[in-house]
Amino acid sequence: MSVAYARQEEWSIPQLYHLPAAKLDPFLNKLKENYTLIGPVVKGKEFVFAPLSDPGELSLHYQTTLLPPKKVLHLPFEVLFSFHEDQQIIETAQEQQQQIIFGIHPCDVHAIAILDKAYTAEYPDPYYIAKRRNTLLVALNCSEPGENCFCQSLGTGPELKDGYDLLLTDLGNGYLLEVGSPRGRELVQVMDLAPAPRVAMVEKQKVLDNARRKFQKKLNTQDLPGILEENFRQPIWEELMHECLACGSCTMVCPTCFCYNVVDKIDLNLKSGKRQREWDSCMLLEYAQVALGHNFRKDRDARVKQRIYHKLVYYEPQFGTLGCVGCGRCIHTCVKKIDITDVISRLRGE
Amino acid sequence: MFNPFKPERAIIKDIIKETTDTTTYTFSFLDEGVRREFRFRPGQFNMLTIFGIGEAPISISSNPAEPETFQHTVRHVGNVTKFLSKMQPGDIVGIRGPYGTGWPLDVLPIKNLLIIAGGIGLAPLRPVIHEVIDRRPEFGQVEVLYGARTPAELLYPAEYEAWRQAGISLLLTVDAVPSGTAWEGQVGVVTDLFRQMSSRPGETAVFTCGPEIMMSYVVKGLLARGFKPEQIYVSLERRMNCGVKKCGKCQIGPKFVCRDGPVFAYAELLTLPEEVLGGAVR
Ligand SMILES: Cc1cc2nc3c(=O)[nH]c(=O)nc-3n(C[C@H](O)[C@H](O)[C@H](O)COP(=O)(O)OP(=O)(O)OC[C@H]3O[C@@H](n4cnc5c(N)ncnc54)[C@H](O)[C@@H]3O)c2cc1C
Ligand code: SF4
Ligand code: SF4
Ligand code: FES
Repeated sequence: MSVAYARQEEWSIPQLYHLPAAKLDPFLNKLKENYTLIGPVVKGKEFVFAPLSDPGELSLHYQTTLLPPKKVLHLPFEVLFSFHEDQQIIETAQEQQQQIIFGIHPCDVHAIAILDKAYTAEYPDPYYIAKRRNTLLVALNCSEPGENCFCQSLGTGPELKDGYDLLLTDLGNGYLLEVGSPRGRELVQVMDLAPAPRVAMVEKQKVLDNARRKFQKKLNTQDLPGILEENFRQPIWEELMHECLACGSCTMVCPTCFCYNVVDKIDLNLKSGKRQREWDSCMLLEYAQVALGHNFRKDRDARVKQRIYHKLVYYEPQFGTLGCVGCGRCIHTCVKKIDITDVISRLRGE
Repeated sequence: MFNPFKPERAIIKDIIKETTDTTTYTFSFLDEGVRREFRFRPGQFNMLTIFGIGEAPISISSNPAEPETFQHTVRHVGNVTKFLSKMQPGDIVGIRGPYGTGWPLDVLPIKNLLIIAGGIGLAPLRPVIHEVIDRRPEFGQVEVLYGARTPAELLYPAEYEAWRQAGISLLLTVDAVPSGTAWEGQVGVVTDLFRQMSSRPGETAVFTCGPEIMMSYVVKGLLARGFKPEQIYVSLERRMNCGVKKCGKCQIGPKFVCRDGPVFAYAELLTLPEEVLGGAVR
C-alpha cells in the first residue's frame, strides 16, 4: 500500500494561480471551514507548527521550526489500544479529521515522503496511514534559507518539484500557487482566483535562484556511503563521543526519524489500561538495552555513529533514499554544536 | 485496515517447569479462525503481551506441524517474563506473530545439519529438531551440540532419547556440576565439544543460537575448522518493540533483525559495519 499523492503527469494541465497577499487570510478562512489548519506560528524567538485558530497567527516568513510537522502524523505519544480486566482489547478509533499542513517547506515534504515509505511498506501502520490519508500539504518554496539549512546539497530544496497538493512561492506582491494533485485542485476551488500570468514562472525562478545563492552550509554527497563505510573506525568518532552528551535532541527534532518505544499504562482503577507508543532515540542509552542489563550500543560513539550512518548510509538500502533532507534542525538544537555537515567534511579531510 | 500491533488473545493450556528460571508454556488462540490460520516456521518468534506489563519477543519452541497449540520456552529475567511465571493454566495473554525469517531449512539444499545451542538458545532450535525428525530421510548426518550452566539447567531432557532414536547425534556439556549432582558427561563450554563432534564442513549447514559471546566463540572455532561464513547461521537477539519493521529498535546497519532476521548467515553479518558477535571474531 502506498499513500497516494498524484504526480503532475498523472492528470492534465498543471494549473497556476495568482494568490494576492490580501486574499491569503480569506483563503485560509475558507479552508478552515472544512479542515484543521496547521501552520508555522511564532513561539518566543522561534517558530513551531501549531493548529491555527485564527489565520492571522500564520507566519509564512519562517525559516525553520523547532519540531518538524512530522509530529501531526507520527505523534510524540500515541495510544495504540486499550485493554480491560477481561483481557478484551479495544482499538482506538482511527478516524481522523481532515487536516492541512499549510506552509510546509520542501525539506519537510521530502521527509514525509520518506516516512510514507517507512510506515507503509510491509505491515502498513494503520495509525500513521489514517492520519496521512487525511492530511493535505500546502507547501511553500523557500526564499530565505536559514543559517543551518543544506537542502540544496541533497536536492530536497529550496524548490519543491513533487509531493505537494498545493505549492506556494512568495513573489513579493502575492503568491504563485501551483496545483499538484486532484485534492489540491479542490482546495483552490473554494476561492475565485485568477490564473497566474506566464511570467510568474520566470519570477519564481528568480526568487529561487536568489535563495540558492544564500546557502551557508553544504554537504558533499559524492560517494557518501563509501566514505562513511571506509571510516567506521576513524578517530573522529572518539572525539565526537567526548563532545556529544547523548541527550537525543538531534533525533527528536529530525523530520525523518521514526523510532519509537512502547509502554503499557495502567489506569487508576487498576482494571484497565492502555498501550502507548512514544518517540524514542538511538542516541539514548536505553534504546539498545535488553534484559539483564545487556546493551548493544553501550558506548556513546556507537550511538553517535548509529544516527549518522542511519541517515547517510542505511536509509538508502532500507527505503531507497538518503535519510537526511538537510533541514538543519539537528545542528540548530545541539547544545554542543555538533554539525552533521562538519562531521562529513572532517571525514573527507576538508 | 489490518492492525499489526493488536495482539490476539491466547489461553495458557499447559505449563512445564524446565529449570529453576525457565518454563515452557503451551498456548492456543481463543479465536477459532486465528487458531486455524496460524502457521509458523522453525526459528520464527511471536510478540507476547501481558496486558499492563508489556510485550516481549519470544521464539516458538514447538513442532511446526502442530500449530494449533504451540509452545514458548521462557526464561524469567524481567518484567514480562517474570510476570508470566506467576500465571496459571487458563490465564489469558496476548500473542501476535509469527515474525521473522526463521532457519533456512527449505531455502538451502541442506544435506547435513549441525546444531549448536547454549542455554535458552535451544528453544528456537527445537522446532528444527522436530521438523528434521518428521522429515528424517531428507537429511544426512544431524548432530546437536548443547551446553548449559549445570545438568539441572539442560532444557527438554525428556526428549533426548527420542532425538537419539531418530538418528540425531546429541553431545551435551555443562559449565559446572554442583556437588551432589550426578553427571557422567562432559564439563566445559560448548566449543569443547568440537573435539568430539563428527560434523565436517562438506555439505553441512550450521545453525547456532545462544548468548552472543558463546556464538562468537562458536563461529571462531568453526571457521578455524574450515567451515565457511556462508554455511553458518546465527539467531540474534535485539531490543524489539514491534516485530514488524516500524519501531526501529532492532536495527543493525540497514537490517531490521525482526524482519530480515533474527536468523542471519554469518557471511551476511560480515557485510555490516557494526560489529555483531561481540567483536570476538574480528
Ligand atoms: C527474536 C528473539 C527471540 C527470543 N526468544 C526467546 C525465547 O524463546 N525465550 C526467552 O526466554 N527469551 C527469548 N528472547 C529474549 C526475550 O525477548 C527477553 O528476555 C525479554 O524481552 C525480556 O523482557 P522482560 O520484560 O521480561 O524484561 P525487562 O528487562 O523487564 O525488559 C522489558 C523491555 O524493556 C527493555 N529494558 C530493560 N531495561 C530497560 C531500561 N533500564 N530502560 C528501558 N528499557 C529497558 C528490555 O530490553 C525489554 O525490551 C528472545 C529475544 C528475541 C529478540
Ligand atoms: S539529520 Fe539533521 S539536517 Fe538531516 S533531516 Fe535530520 S534533523 Fe534535518
Ligand atoms: S535509528 Fe536513530 S537516527 Fe535512525 S530513525 Fe531511529 S532514532 Fe532516528
Ligand atoms: S522490532 Fe521494531 S523494527 Fe524490528
